[in-house]
Amino acid sequence: MTRWRILWARVAEFVRSGPVDRDLRDELDAHLDLATDDYIRRGIPASEARRLARRDFGGESGLEHTREAMRDRRGLRGLDTVLQDVRYAGRLLRKTPGFTIAAVATLALGLGANVAIFSLVNGVLLRPLPYPQPDRLVTIWESVSNPKDGPTRIAVAPANFVDYVARTRSFAAMAGVARLGRNLAGVGTPERLIGDEVTEGYFATLGVAPFLGRSFVADDYAEGANQVVILFQDLWQRRFGGDPALVGRSITLDDRPYRVVGIMPKGVTGLTFQDEMDPPGLVTPAVFPADILSNRQDHEIRVAARLRPGVPVDAARDEMASLSAAMAAEFPGAKNTTTGLEALGADQAREVRPLLVALVAAVGLVLLVAAVNVASLLVVRSNARRREIAVRFAMGATRARVMRELMTQSVVLAILGLGAGLVFGIWAKDLLVALAPPSLPHLDAIRLDGRVLVATSAAAALTCLVFGSLPAWQVSRTRPVDALRASERTVSASWVRRSRSLLVTAEVALSMLLLVGAGLMVRSLIELNRRDLGFDPAPVVAATVGLPPARYRTPDARLAFFEALATRVASLPGVEKVAFASRFPLRGGWTSGFLLEPVSGPIEEAFQQAGFQAVSPGYFATLGIPLRAGRLLEAGDREGNLPVAVVSEEFSRAILGGANPIGRTFSRGPSAPIITIVGVVGDIRRGGRATPVDAQVYLPAAQTSLYPARLSEIAVRTNRDAGALASAIPAEVWAIDGGQPVTNVRSLAETLELGLAERYFQTFLFLLFAGLALALALVGVYGVMAYIVSQRAREIGLRMALGADHGRILRWVVGQMAWLVTAGTLSGLGAGLLLSRSITQLLFGVTPSDPASYVAAAAMLVASALAASYLAARRAIRIDPVSALR
Amino acid sequence: MLDTNRMTDLDKTDVLQGTLALMILTTLDAMGPMHGYGLARRIEQMSDHAIALNQGTLYPALVRLEQQGWIRGKWGTSDNNRRAKFYGLTSLGRRQLESEATRWLRIAGIVERFLGPVRGRS
Repeated sequence: MTRWRILWARVAEFVRSGPVDRDLRDELDAHLDLATDDYIRRGIPASEARRLARRDFGGESGLEHTREAMRDRRGLRGLDTVLQDVRYAGRLLRKTPGFTIAAVATLALGLGANVAIFSLVNGVLLRPLPYPQPDRLVTIWESVSNPKDGPTRIAVAPANFVDYVARTRSFAAMAGVARLGRNLAGVGTPERLIGDEVTEGYFATLGVAPFLGRSFVADDYAEGANQVVILFQDLWQRRFGGDPALVGRSITLDDRPYRVVGIMPKGVTGLTFQDEMDPPGLVTPAVFPADILSNRQDHEIRVAARLRPGVPVDAARDEMASLSAAMAAEFPGAKNTTTGLEALGADQAREVRPLLVALVAAVGLVLLVAAVNVASLLVVRSNARRREIAVRFAMGATRARVMRELMTQSVVLAILGLGAGLVFGIWAKDLLVALAPPSLPHLDAIRLDGRVLVATSAAAALTCLVFGSLPAWQVSRTRPVDALRASERTVSASWVRRSRSLLVTAEVALSMLLLVGAGLMVRSLIELNRRDLGFDPAPVVAATVGLPPARYRTPDARLAFFEALATRVASLPGVEKVAFASRFPLRGGWTSGFLLEPVSGPIEEAFQQAGFQAVSPGYFATLGIPLRAGRLLEAGDREGNLPVAVVSEEFSRAILGGANPIGRTFSRGPSAPIITIVGVVGDIRRGGRATPVDAQVYLPAAQTSLYPARLSEIAVRTNRDAGALASAIPAEVWAIDGGQPVTNVRSLAETLELGLAERYFQTFLFLLFAGLALALALVGVYGVMAYIVSQRAREIGLRMALGADHGRILRWVVGQMAWLVTAGTLSGLGAGLLLSRSITQLLFGVTPSDPASYVAAAAMLVASALAASYLAARRAIRIDPVSALR
Repeated sequence: MLDTNRMTDLDKTDVLQGTLALMILTTLDAMGPMHGYGLARRIEQMSDHAIALNQGTLYPALVRLEQQGWIRGKWGTSDNNRRAKFYGLTSLGRRQLESEATRWLRIAGIVERFLGPVRGRS
């Protein structure tokens, strides 16, 4: 209470500081007058009385002391000195614009990079899900184990989901989501959109209900119920102009009418899971037919759940684990299946997390190098002020006072650097977003907000501590007496040289660390690009045509459509080959179980897995997949003829142990047709360069009874620019059927690039940061070298006068730096070996201790550092021996 | 060196500060509003000149007391027609004096009980 009153009084006094100063002077004058009067009254002459009055007060110094003490008490004395220090620091910084610009620019570079990366992390990693209490949402998945790859995460079987809902207590609500492509027709151009089929718990899980209309009710889930749909805000605004009257009306999805019963509020998007980039535009009730609900092998839905209040994630995970163990005992068909559970937000960011963490670390290192550079500049600067500071000590300034003034200067520098860094950072962040691969989630949410500001300010404060404490420490160990002595000059010079040498070693080590990281990324890219895809993506343009099952009910109807489309497309200019298939490589694909004849033992254990695609005869020629043995699929492989298949070389190796597959037979199930293998083709990496070679089976698209996977893609091999075909193919589709959306029209090379975009992005950023750190470190090396030369000018002059030639001097001077650089490089190398393990997930085909990356980084660092010190040392040999010795 | 000296200086003043404040408050309570010089003289007299008050220490103490709201200073004219700042006790200061005085007497009583046997021995 009293403390507040004092503070208030002080603030009031500070505000009217002028009169207060005069007031206390007057008061002391009055005191002296009164005392003098007293002495005069006792008969002492006036001049003597005055002297005695002053003596009682301790003389002039006593008066000054009292005035000072009163002033200290009065007003905001602390703030006064801070302002004074700030003004003083500002004056000093203005007096040396070169130093100030160099320091502020260095800091701005480091802090700006931090702003950009913090914004990225803030938008991608820390962004909360757009639902109430987002931390209560979890996702549940199932995993199957096989000896080759270990546990693999797969979707949940609806049959299991029903049990999860009924037999758990940890969850307030649980939602099953099946992702579907939907053709929206009727308004504007036909469009392919994502429409999720959702179970009854969906809206309770989100914790948000439609703001117009209603949620789905139990009746909507009855088989044969009216088809209903709920739209998300984005689609509603974009396609229907935000018309509230849409509720109650019907829209056409996949050629069927659906009644709109609700619109979700603004800012609420549909659930997305791990690898899904886009939220759905709409949701419909999921009605599972009886055969799906009885088959625990049919994994097709994603599951999210909202935890009951007070239930921790771990408890829910334990409950799911014990439930799936119980279910494995009950249902032999599910015996390989286990469940996993993770917070939904964390799970979505799981893929990008290692990259973002590595980026934050990298950008932190860059900032550290920047701080070390500024520290090095400040050490020289504060040393130059040594005499001045010593004089201030001698005049009675306290050490704390001088250190505070030096720290103030560092803080002013940090604030200037922060300001410039924010400006630079906003620009850098926009650049980053422009360069970022579209696969990074929530790119649109990347912006500079309060959190980024706080984080950057914290980084600036830490930086300030790093570069500000060294000069302050230097002062703290200064003994005023020594500082004034002439001989001190050499002592302090060696102190400066030692601390700057240490700083430059640190810079080199930090740069080495970043260079190693960048080197490992580059090596990963090289390794990746060196890998053979097994097909030629460059001249191939593909497109997806999602034929709605309502109109193209039978496989034969779809086949007829694609055969007609292929004939039309083949006559387009520039088309060399044309093919259609269920899926082309890099665009997804299906995996299926099959039984190799002859089957022995229990049938459930005889099933093996391979990639299965239905393809037209032109598939192999279009993609450039070579024939190894037997024959390719032919036009005559149609319904009614012998069911045939072509397999990949990996199929012979993995499934048949290297035996010749031609003539071998298999089926897709006990009662399915027996298929004969007639040819072997080259291996492909279906999912791109980073994926393994898997066994592949190709079935003739025209033998429609063999495989139910829907034909949905067409591709051409062209000798022209892909762009022209990208518009010509949809035109041919619409010439046959006007209501068909054509999506994902692009060359396979482009798709490949997109798949690699994240890797290129991370490599680019690491190279950029390593380059920044290296540049800053080289500036440091140059500066220290120049300093050593200027300090040793006499010695160098002496050596030259004694007949040392230029080469010798250069070797001697550069040699001093070589020790520092070597020490820095080695410590960086050691730290790299220790820390690089943490970026293992970002690497491909190289180990974190890959020698080539380390050698390349070290060579580059040492070479450029020696070049920088050579440039600085060249000044050494220009020293005139005569003037240097004088 | 310098720093250590300062430190002990401060310690002395700090010890004095508490008692000085009490003396100022008591004097003002007994005598009514007084100026700084008068207070200094009065305290010297009262203590039988046992306290050769460094008059300089009085003024910072007055600033402090005024900030605490226990006394209030006002410019006025002295007996011999000099302009001076007169300090008077506020009602808050009067309450404070009571509690401080009680506390002080209690402490003094306790200390005296401790000192009693020591005196007896000598």
